Amino acid sequence: MAQCTLKPDIDFTRKLAEAGGDSLKKCYQCATCAVACPMAPANAPYPRKEMVWASWGLADKLKSDVDIWLCHNCGNCSDLCPRGANPADVMAAARNTVYQDLTEPKKVGELMSKPSGLPILFGIPALLWLIVWWIRAGYNNGNWFPTRADGSIVFGDIFYGDYTIDPIFMLTFFGALFIIGKGAYKLWQSFKPEGKLTMIGEKGCWLCHLWNVLVEEVIFATHFDDCHAGPKTGKATPGRRVGHTVLVWAFAMLAFVTAVVALGHWGGKVIPAIEITTPLNPLNLIKVIANVGALMLVVGLAMLTLRRLTENKETHKSSYYDWYLLGIIWAVALTGIFSQIFRLAEAAGPAFLVYYLHLVFVWMLFAYLPWSKLGHLVYRTVALLYVRMYGRKG
Amino acid sequence: MSNAILVVGGGFSGLTAAIEAAELGHDVYIVEKSPWLGGRVAQLNKYFPKLCPPSCGLEIQFQRIRKNPLIHCLTMAQVVGLSGSKGNYTARIRLEPRRTPSHNVDFTFMASALDGERDSEFDLGLGKRKALYKAMPFAYPARYVLDTETLSKADMARLAGNAQLDFNEKAREIDVQVGSIVIATGWKPYDVTRLSNLGAGSVKNCISNMQLERLASPFGPTQGKIVRPTDGTTPHRVAFVQCAGSRDQNHLNYCSYICCMATLKHCLYFAEQHPDTQITVFYIDLRAPGRYVKVLEKVQALPNVHFIKGKVANVVQAKGDTCEIQAEDAIRGEKLTLTYDMVVLATGMQPTLATEKLPLPVPLDADGFIAGGEEAGIFAAGCCVMPLDVTRSAQSGTAAALKAVQTVKGR
Repeated sequence: MAQCTLKPDIDFTRKLAEAGGDSLKKCYQCATCAVACPMAPANAPYPRKEMVWASWGLADKLKSDVDIWLCHNCGNCSDLCPRGANPADVMAAARNTVYQDLTEPKKVGELMSKPSGLPILFGIPALLWLIVWWIRAGYNNGNWFPTRADGSIVFGDIFYGDYTIDPIFMLTFFGALFIIGKGAYKLWQSFKPEGKLTMIGEKGCWLCHLWNVLVEEVIFATHFDDCHAGPKTGKATPGRRVGHTVLVWAFAMLAFVTAVVALGHWGGKVIPAIEITTPLNPLNLIKVIANVGALMLVVGLAMLTLRRLTENKETHKSSYYDWYLLGIIWAVALTGIFSQIFRLAEAAGPAFLVYYLHLVFVWMLFAYLPWSKLGHLVYRTVALLYVRMYGRKG
Repeated sequence: MSNAILVVGGGFSGLTAAIEAAELGHDVYIVEKSPWLGGRVAQLNKYFPKLCPPSCGLEIQFQRIRKNPLIHCLTMAQVVGLSGSKGNYTARIRLEPRRTPSHNVDFTFMASALDGERDSEFDLGLGKRKALYKAMPFAYPARYVLDTETLSKADMARLAGNAQLDFNEKAREIDVQVGSIVIATGWKPYDVTRLSNLGAGSVKNCISNMQLERLASPFGPTQGKIVRPTDGTTPHRVAFVQCAGSRDQNHLNYCSYICCMATLKHCLYFAEQHPDTQITVFYIDLRAPGRYVKVLEKVQALPNVHFIKGKVANVVQAKGDTCEIQAEDAIRGEKLTLTYDMVVLATGMQPTLATEKLPLPVPLDADGFIAGGEEAGIFAAGCCVMPLDVTRSAQSGTAAALKAVQTVKGR
């Protein structure tokens, strides 16, 4: 008989507990959860097997498990769990440990894992933008809150795009993209089973699969509706599809606006016809899209936050990762909206201060993305792509 | 001071306590809510440890009651008030009208002529009963009950003027003086309508284990033939769902102790009646306490009984009134979706006091089991303390009787 030696890792189990899975030891392997989950496949369904891995601290199995990403955290399993082991929370905790450990530098992952890391994480961009502010104030004769002759405020007078915002954010954005890309590659490699995998039948082109994943997951979030197809739990499950979709669309609109403005600004230096100068007129179509996007961001955030606040805390706990992500997006949205309001109100002091905070939070959102829950945007897509390429529906 | 003892509940543990105390020379009042004694055991087809029919063990108890003038049976009765203290209680008992004579009159023929019907409580909704009824042939007391609400107009005309029936009997209340009290209010099957993922009682041919007992009982709705309730056909594929509501913090947060054994017993019923029926038992852990492991070994050796480790978490109706269930085979790591002719939910024991209030000063734990009260001269026996089998219920009845006897003065 083949022998298999398990090496339980109690430290990993503790880590999972800290990352939001503190109920995992209550599991007694009844296998209700695998049935409760309408997305779990017939063969090797989840999350029961993950629960036993978590209990044994089998870090390698859990971190290279594609199924933790296929879970969309509807909580059916936790609702039906007879022991309050809350498999949904444990799956979320497993994802959190991946955010923490997958990519270098791991120090960032560690700081991102608990509130005590927040001062440093906030301090870095706060200092960065303060230096920028201080240098640029020197160009304005030491005036930290400059206003134009007509009383209007132009943020570019302090946070000048060409030399400050654009290079810093481009570096940040592409740096984060590089890191998360490396993480995605590492994750993909870890999904592959040991030895050779023979696939019988059509594999399908990866681009088609990616397109389908993006349409279903990111654009329409249909999987959240699939979550409701499970057994009747007798408990109300608040829908998440609308809130999530509104948020994603809001981000897409804001990204589009940013791209157009960047193109107009830098492209305008080559082709003057497409030049765009900020601040834009409030009635400009691009500005309208930006403002509608900002409002949608707030609406989506409010829906998702409200759901987390009203959830039954016994069966659905929100971890620090959940609150960090919601918190940072709230901070970005509110500072963005208020900096515009103060700018239009020509209140120079609050306007520059809030805009400065806005830059700090936006930088945090992008720079720490690979270690934050927002990483699921890439990691879940990678996992879905992987399973679909190997013929599984996910 | 009174040396009489009040026993609340006329099931197996209550009867045992009452008889033991009476045979030691104490006046005993048995207060039973239903019209007959015997409780849950009376509803079974066979019971552990020897798999004899309930008439067997209960008949002995009924004989002892019949012969003992110190035992006063109050059926269709409930305790509605209590005053006094240990050694000197006054219990107020409400007696519902039975409307039939106090001696044994055989109404079998008359009852069969009636046409008003309702779902039989004793058969757990699987059969019908008339307005004039007796739950089982060996019922004790062997008296019928007249339920005037179930009478049709024709029934009224047919029974009018019958000298044996008292249509005007009213409920009444009496006071009894007792020194000590034994509570043996027992259990009830967990309410399946609360098990939303297991069909909530709305899936046809998905029955509870107690309902299967009624199907298997020769005095049950099918005269002992185990058939599908919808069409009376023999089920060829049957699934047992263990822990249906037990060991579940959303329902009964404890192991009901006896459901695994009940299911193994049911497998034996099938092996006897329909040896070709394919049976699958879905379980979390199989619990065969003590010497019951012999039964487990016997059932495991049956060719057509299969065991799958994994709790059934979804039951829905499928074509032809069959039941589709879903479970993960936790050993093979495979999610199964299977269709069965009949599904039996091994529902657990819920203490009666979890949902019904008793005007007695006893503390209950979070699940509704009695936890204490002995300092007041009130002793609990049977399944109102913890889930038990019949043997241990009887033992706990004797134990409670001994404590009660020591509480009251003299002989």
